[in-house]
Amino acid sequence: MWGAIALGALGGVARLDPEEAALSTPAATDGAGGGTGQVAARARGLTKAYGTGETAVRALDAVDVDIARGRFTAVMGPSGSGKSTLMHCLAGLDSVSAGQVWLGDTEITGLKDRELTRLRRDRVGFMFQSFNLLPTLTAAENITLPMDIAGRRPDKAWLERVIDTLGLRDRLTHRPAQLSGGQQQRVACARALASRPELIFADEPTGNLDSRAGLEVLGFLREAVDRLDQTVVMVTHDPSAAAHSDLVLFLGDGRIVDALREPTADRVLERMKRFDTLVPEAVAKPDGEG
Amino acid sequence: MLKATLRSFFAHKGRLALSALAVLLSVAFVTGSLIFSDTVTRTFDRLFASTAADVTVSPKEGVAAGEQSGSVPTLPVELAARVRELDGVAGAHIDAAVENVTVVDARRKPVGPTTGAPSIATNWYVSDRSPVELTSGHAPRGPGEALLDADTADKKHVGIGDTLTVLAAPGSFDVRVVGIATFTTTNPGAALVFLDTPTAQQKLLGDADAATSISVTAPPGVSDDTLKRTVAAGLGDRYELKTADEEAESAAAQLGGFLDVIKYVMLGFAGVAVLVGVFLIVNTFSMLIAQRTRELGLLRALGADRRQVRRSVLVEALLLGLVGSTLGLATGIALAFGLIELMSLAGMNLDATEMVIGPATPVSAYVVGVGVTVVAAYLPARRAARVSPMAALADAEVAGVGRPLTLRAVAGAVVGATGAAALAGCAASTDTSTAASLLGLGVVLTLLATVVAGPLLVRPVIRVLGGAFPALFGPVGRMSQRNALRNPRRTGATAAALMVGLALVAGLSVAGASMTKSFDQEIDRTLGADFLVQGGTFLPFPREVTERVRDAEGAGLVVRQRFAPLELALPDGAHVTSTAAAFDPRVDEVAKLEFAAGSTAAALAPEHIGMDREFAAEHGVRVGDVLPAEFPGERHARLTVGALTDRGGPVAPGADGGLVIGMATADAHLPGGQDSALFVNAADGTDAPALRAALDAALDPYPQVQVRDQADYKELVRGQIAVLLYLVYALLGLAIVIAVLGVVNTLALSVVERTRELGLLRAIGLGRRQLRRMIRLESVVIAVFGAVLGLGLGLVWGLATQRVLALEGMRALAIPWGTVIAVVLGSVLVGLAAALVPALRASRMNVLDAIAHE
Repeated sequence: MWGAIALGALGGVARLDPEEAALSTPAATDGAGGGTGQVAARARGLTKAYGTGETAVRALDAVDVDIARGRFTAVMGPSGSGKSTLMHCLAGLDSVSAGQVWLGDTEITGLKDRELTRLRRDRVGFMFQSFNLLPTLTAAENITLPMDIAGRRPDKAWLERVIDTLGLRDRLTHRPAQLSGGQQQRVACARALASRPELIFADEPTGNLDSRAGLEVLGFLREAVDRLDQTVVMVTHDPSAAAHSDLVLFLGDGRIVDALREPTADRVLERMKRFDTLVPEAVAKPDGEG
Repeated sequence: MLKATLRSFFAHKGRLALSALAVLLSVAFVTGSLIFSDTVTRTFDRLFASTAADVTVSPKEGVAAGEQSGSVPTLPVELAARVRELDGVAGAHIDAAVENVTVVDARRKPVGPTTGAPSIATNWYVSDRSPVELTSGHAPRGPGEALLDADTADKKHVGIGDTLTVLAAPGSFDVRVVGIATFTTTNPGAALVFLDTPTAQQKLLGDADAATSISVTAPPGVSDDTLKRTVAAGLGDRYELKTADEEAESAAAQLGGFLDVIKYVMLGFAGVAVLVGVFLIVNTFSMLIAQRTRELGLLRALGADRRQVRRSVLVEALLLGLVGSTLGLATGIALAFGLIELMSLAGMNLDATEMVIGPATPVSAYVVGVGVTVVAAYLPARRAARVSPMAALADAEVAGVGRPLTLRAVAGAVVGATGAAALAGCAASTDTSTAASLLGLGVVLTLLATVVAGPLLVRPVIRVLGGAFPALFGPVGRMSQRNALRNPRRTGATAAALMVGLALVAGLSVAGASMTKSFDQEIDRTLGADFLVQGGTFLPFPREVTERVRDAEGAGLVVRQRFAPLELALPDGAHVTSTAAAFDPRVDEVAKLEFAAGSTAAALAPEHIGMDREFAAEHGVRVGDVLPAEFPGERHARLTVGALTDRGGPVAPGADGGLVIGMATADAHLPGGQDSALFVNAADGTDAPALRAALDAALDPYPQVQVRDQADYKELVRGQIAVLLYLVYALLGLAIVIAVLGVVNTLALSVVERTRELGLLRAIGLGRRQLRRMIRLESVVIAVFGAVLGLGLGLVWGLATQRVLALEGMRALAIPWGTVIAVVLGSVLVGLAAALVPALRASRMNVLDAIAHE
């Protein structure tokens, strides 16, 4: 199973610890065509540049990455490292400058806006740092919104299970304004899970929460992977949040520079320190993601 | 601080542009109407001032004969000789000028204007006061020769040598055009035919020894006033004497009535534009301030005091007002120009290059524009001043949501209840003037109440209106409905602009439809004749017409109707000037007069009069009373009240008292009167179509009269009320334009405020088309909300107005459901149109920018 978690083009593979290298299979060995069923999303030579000519900034620089199905992957990196851009490109929210991205078996690079919209609606779940919910809709309406938009009926049994798992049973008729920050994120999590997407992207889901509520949300994401068999990619800069994942990818200067399996907060922190000394310019870079 | 204000003004120029447009429209209508009426007034003043004689001698009017009666007051021609012999008089001309003529060409088509301006036939003599000069041909000599004014000749392609027929009161006669006379000043649009003096007296007045007035010329160095005293001393006080200034003034006063109509219509438009514009401006500033809460908080935190914040908003409003007024002034000039051109099409020749822009025009432009803007911005400015410095630190709150609406509820309920009471009082009142003032009060108060309480109505009404949305449009429908409910204050204020316009239109439509229906019923009830022969503009026609109708094959009974102006001295001391309708005795066979007392015969008997029961009661008149009456030309009579009519008859619309007299009475006291309507029944054995054909053939030479049956007559009345309705629809158009600006404004702001929300929706899979639809639906909900409120209010107003009309005899109530439905459907279109740009902008929004962290 671990062999499927692939990291590619790690610029300088030499930077990897031997033990991490052992569990990282170069993505190239999977071949460029067709998914294996084990990979939820895949990118090859993914490059995202802003501006042109002299002033061009490469937010992502020829990134190869495979996101393993049924796993909890965390993406870490300092501001400007390109971690949010990576997520946006994988989720079909942003266009790419070069390279290819697949969601399951579908190549999403080159899709039109309408097809991308449909793809996000039907096959991807989202959680953002804040402003996740529509203030005019109740929790229940927010949870089923993507399916409502698509005109699909939610899978009742699954929906009940998600709601129970997240402990939202009593909150369904509440409006977002009547919910605490943690409850709001749980609703957002439920929404992301409700349509049973191939992939859930969570962008700093705990960023606006106090540590207890944050822990709770991370617990639910973990549970979504372990008990509901979902695939989660989480962007974070919090080592203790990343510790809940199965695998941490470190981004620096638009490249994946490191990976850590079965992380703990301490190990992530330690890795980041080393990482800071490795790519100091990436830390200094102010632009890129918000 | 000023710099900050200016920056902010220019930063929001897009949003302010919409408000500036509202200011512009109001100002444009105000200035346009001022410029137009100034221009017209000066044009005519010039004409009258240059043409009026030093002193004009005319018959004493007393009761004015008016054009309705067809009677032309005259004075004896030898008066001119007496004036000429007076010391201190340089000369005196006799004038024989009438307006009760129709001039037709060889093909029987009218040569003169058919609407508005008159056709004038007069005698030709050369004087320095003539408005025209002979430019080709020669002066008319003897009967059968005439001059025509150049404008009319050009317009109707009449040349020297052509033959025209003058249909004058004493009889028709043919003239050959022997010359063309050209106006030396601006031609107001009348058609002028000049005859030589004896012909004019004989053929126009029917009396070789009569004149309509005498123009007296002063010797050099003698003032008009001195001359007037000289003439007065010589003639006594039996005649009306006017100096040139006085004559010009009274001519201008006569014209004033017509100008006032145009002026009031324009000011009505300006009023609607101002009223609707105020909402737009209040809304814009409220929203700008809501958007800038943090910015204002920062200013306060940095030490700006409340006054400074308030002033900064007001200065912004001032700038907006100045810009709007300036543009409005320019637009107003263009509008006046357009109106002047339009008048030319209608036959009134005004010279647009002689446009008069008096000092009052720019002053009113800026007073209206700046005043309205600053007043409208005052409340938002006060609110801005109350922003606490803490707002700079807090998350931007959405303004208006949190504040309770209790105060509004209380104020709305109190004002609304008062307004409703006023309307109820209006409906219950039996006195027209009381009812009308209660109506006015009720309209203002209920409008105010609806505006104040509008936000409170948003929830219940939109819940119902948008109730079907989730079912019809799925989650997109649900979200748009909820969005419209989200900020009731804003939705209410936005819809208010639309509401005001639609309420006015609905109210006036109900009134118009009720009037139409009332007239229809009245015509059905009272008009029993097979045909009615009437002048196109309801003016009287020559006697020949009556004779021809009588002689037409198949014509049976012909009953004449004539209008006789008179002044009645009533028992309660009141002197009422009105117009009596005079009929031939057998009027009962062609029209139905209902009597509360007496009979048709009693009312129409010689030296008798009939009047409306309520009018009689009001003035203490009883059957048998003898009332002193005065007819035009200071002819006095004593009329016995013979009968009281039960309902204000249809016979003399608009005239006070519903007075009816016999034709014999009219003939005795108003010689030379002309018939203004003929009721014609078919003779036995003749069917209506045959009679109609005969009448049409007989009247072919008289294009100024028409033969109408009941249906035609209804159509005619309808057409006249329709003119009122067209004005209403034009007002509606204007109100809608401004209201659309308001909806656009609100939606644009909502889209900006909800950027993140829209981004989220796009991220989780809402398509661009769905997003556009969501915004369109929200816009439609707001527009329909405004329409429903406006229609509701307008229908209530219409019902109350109908009660007032009922007091004036128009008792039928009609609600134009077609219009109501059209307005609701139209408001859907308004919503769709308003959403175009905001929806497009929202759908083009970059998802990533929208969801990016702060």
